[in-house]
Amino acid sequence: MKIDLDLIVKLENLARLELTEDERKVLQKDLQEMIGMVSKLEELDLADVEPLRHVTEVTNVLREDKVEGQLSQEKVFLNAPDREGSYFRVPKVIDRKEE
Amino acid sequence: MQSHIYEPVIGLEVHIQLLTQSKAFCGDDISFGAEANSQTSTISLAHPGTLPRANKKQVELAIRLGIALGCEITSTTYFDRKHYFYADLPKGFQTTQDSRPICMGGTIEVGEGTSRREIRIHHIHMEEDAGKSIHDQSSEGSLIDYNRAGVPLLELVTEPDLRSSEEVYQFINKLRQLVRYLDVSDGNMEEGSLRADCNVSIRPKGSSELNTRCEIKNINSARFAARAVDFEIRRQSEILEKGGTIIQETREYSPGDDRTVPLRGKEEAHDYRYFPEPDLPPLSISDEMLRKVKSSLPILPAQWHNKFTTEFGLSIYDADLLVEHREIAQSFDTLLQKSPDIQPSLLSKLYINKIIPHCNESGISIGEFEVPGQHIVSFLELIETDKISTSVAYQKLWPALLETKEHPQLLAQKLNLIQSFDEDYIAESVKLVLIENPAKVEAYKKGKKALLSFFIGQVMRKTNGKANPQITRKILQSELNSSTD
Repeated sequence: MKIDLDLIVKLENLARLELTEDERKVLQKDLQEMIGMVSKLEELDLADVEPLRHVTEVTNVLREDKVEGQLSQEKVFLNAPDREGSYFRVPKVIDRKEE
Repeated sequence: MQSHIYEPVIGLEVHIQLLTQSKAFCGDDISFGAEANSQTSTISLAHPGTLPRANKKQVELAIRLGIALGCEITSTTYFDRKHYFYADLPKGFQTTQDSRPICMGGTIEVGEGTSRREIRIHHIHMEEDAGKSIHDQSSEGSLIDYNRAGVPLLELVTEPDLRSSEEVYQFINKLRQLVRYLDVSDGNMEEGSLRADCNVSIRPKGSSELNTRCEIKNINSARFAARAVDFEIRRQSEILEKGGTIIQETREYSPGDDRTVPLRGKEEAHDYRYFPEPDLPPLSISDEMLRKVKSSLPILPAQWHNKFTTEFGLSIYDADLLVEHREIAQSFDTLLQKSPDIQPSLLSKLYINKIIPHCNESGISIGEFEVPGQHIVSFLELIETDKISTSVAYQKLWPALLETKEHPQLLAQKLNLIQSFDEDYIAESVKLVLIENPAKVEAYKKGKKALLSFFIGQVMRKTNGKANPQITRKILQSELNSSTD
């Protein structure tokens, strides 16, 4: 798989990052090497092998349906950059276009 | 509202909020209407280093709905992460199921008789809700309440099998009825416990192609869903008739002006980068768990409906009303089992016309209805054995029964309501009525035969409704006709 600059820019957008041209070049090279290493797997016939989704073999870790562990109102906002009353406040996130 | 040239192709995605106490992956309370951000924790606020744990009840309820809908339950099921950036999603991803949803397949039937159709369910998966954004209360930004973040949901996805707004309406109502029967969800659409996204496209009638669709998001009423679909069919037909093309987009329905409008910001192709949620280990659903859930299922609406129409001979309309709520169907059936002599249709009429409306008006459940079952039975026996006429029973005895809860037989005697077959007694009242209404008698004799019901009504009034109507009619006719000679 060829890692080109378009892909780097796409990944930037998805991760909401803004890189400089130099950073992009470094990342492009690193990523190319990583993908190259993982591509080794393509040499094997894995048609009948289930993907490994979890490395532990633990299953069914469930909790009972009980109310517990809620934060108090003052703790909720300790790390909030901005609030209004009992709400978190963020920059406006929606606008509608009219037909 | 159907076009003559086009037919709609509709698929639904319905979000169902589960009847749990706590959230999907942590112990926050999920009660509706609490103060903003008072039901949150380090897990729902996505603080680093926290570890989610799945709610057992959520899994059980998913299986419960799946079994009731005839789905196949996936033996090993996983959670996945669905990534996108939005302020009401603090983790930057939604915990959901992508590659192995807990339920596959299943159906819901819509329509009656020849228009009955099976709508196929593609799958049902477990996921969590996002927080709530409020955009119009602050001039400086959007306000976020994370109480809803992490609330357990099921998302039911249908195949594009629906063909009209009426079917959409029925589908949503049937699903709501079922989740209430099963105690899977309160089904309260006004509070958002059931929300539907409708995917609508149109195509020339008879064609089998699938065209560009629009998705109308987050509709919180079955009626609005039907209207939104009607509007979309109209809008898309007009575009095609003018030679235009449909753009794939997300829209929302605005009930105020009954139209759908585009929502911006969701139109670029999404790349959710689903991947396995490493913090939540797989769930393995044992046969024993399936058996346990299966044996705990109540009798379902379709089963009641079938019993009421075939075994009890009720009309489809009556059966529809009786099976609407589980408690009503159950109580109706119990009463009939206890008193097999009662005519089911008489009891059904009493439920539909009196008992259900009374419970609704007083805001009580059928289980809290004050009149004991054996009184209801003897009330109906009085009607069945002609001791009291149906109209007197409904108009006079029933209100008295509601008020006093006394035995209907005694009550009817006390109120002097027992029907009289005594011809002498009735004849006396007939005579009085004729004497009191000479003008009407004259008119009757001149050919205004319709006045007979007026005279019957007057006799009823005089006898406090006790006169047997058939005998009254016979005596009246003979009196009026004989005096003509």
